[in-house]
Amino acid sequence: MTSDTKKVPDRPDESRRTFLRTGLVGATATAIGAGAIATPAAASESDSEKKKARYQETAHVKKYYQTNRY
Amino acid sequence: MARMKFLCDADRCIECNACVTACKNEHEVPWGINRRRVVTINDGKPGERSVSMACMHCTDAPCASVCPVSCFYTTADAVVLHSKDLCIGCGYCFYACPFGAPQYPKTGNFGSRGKMDKCTYCAGGPEADNASAELDKYGRNRLAEGKLPLCAEMCSTKALLAGDGDIIASIYKERVAKRGYGSGAWGWKVAYKETIAI
Repeated sequence: MTSDTKKVPDRPDESRRTFLRTGLVGATATAIGAGAIATPAAASESDSEKKKARYQETAHVKKYYQTNRY
Repeated sequence: MARMKFLCDADRCIECNACVTACKNEHEVPWGINRRRVVTINDGKPGERSVSMACMHCTDAPCASVCPVSCFYTTADAVVLHSKDLCIGCGYCFYACPFGAPQYPKTGNFGSRGKMDKCTYCAGGPEADNASAELDKYGRNRLAEGKLPLCAEMCSTKALLAGDGDIIASIYKERVAKRGYGSGAWGWKVAYKETIAI
């Protein structure tokens, strides 16, 4: 009796797994890289810097006070 | 240290809403959000009064007290600011604020409100001064440029005062003393009109 079933290889084709592994590693690396870029701390000021006084009595501000006294 | 304050002279405010418009334009505030608004009491009746309202930058800010993620901070100038990176949009600050200052950009299902937005006293946020990230999230940082909030600076009748609390209080006191009447005026004659003899 002849069998026309397809020949099943002894070992699975590992190149497909390698492809998946490479893809997974690449995606993880990309996610870590994007996370590092998007970290808000990178662009934020330090605690003391963000709370420091920014008001200055400049000539512009003095003129504003003067015009409000009319 | 100077403490930043807003003071609206209700006898001068003419409800032109220019402060509201200027704020929206300066900070590129999105649709549906007003960091400042003009409230009119007894509208259309004789003796109506208008007051320009925004975040009052409270000393012991209720918004900061209720925030579950502590995104609020007070600067050395006594300006109450917040971090939109930390904000979770829970809306507690909206319920706590007596002035209705916190605003939310979205109204969606499941209570998704988006990050809270409010008046920054033209002092930006936790990002570097006038960086593009700060401009996008919080608007312009005029205080760092040596200026004052635009709403007050461009007020045509000089009703809205901003700046060092001591200085604007003295300006307001001068006005009231000269007028001798209206909100903020003091003395028995003012309180009881002419019906009392001193």
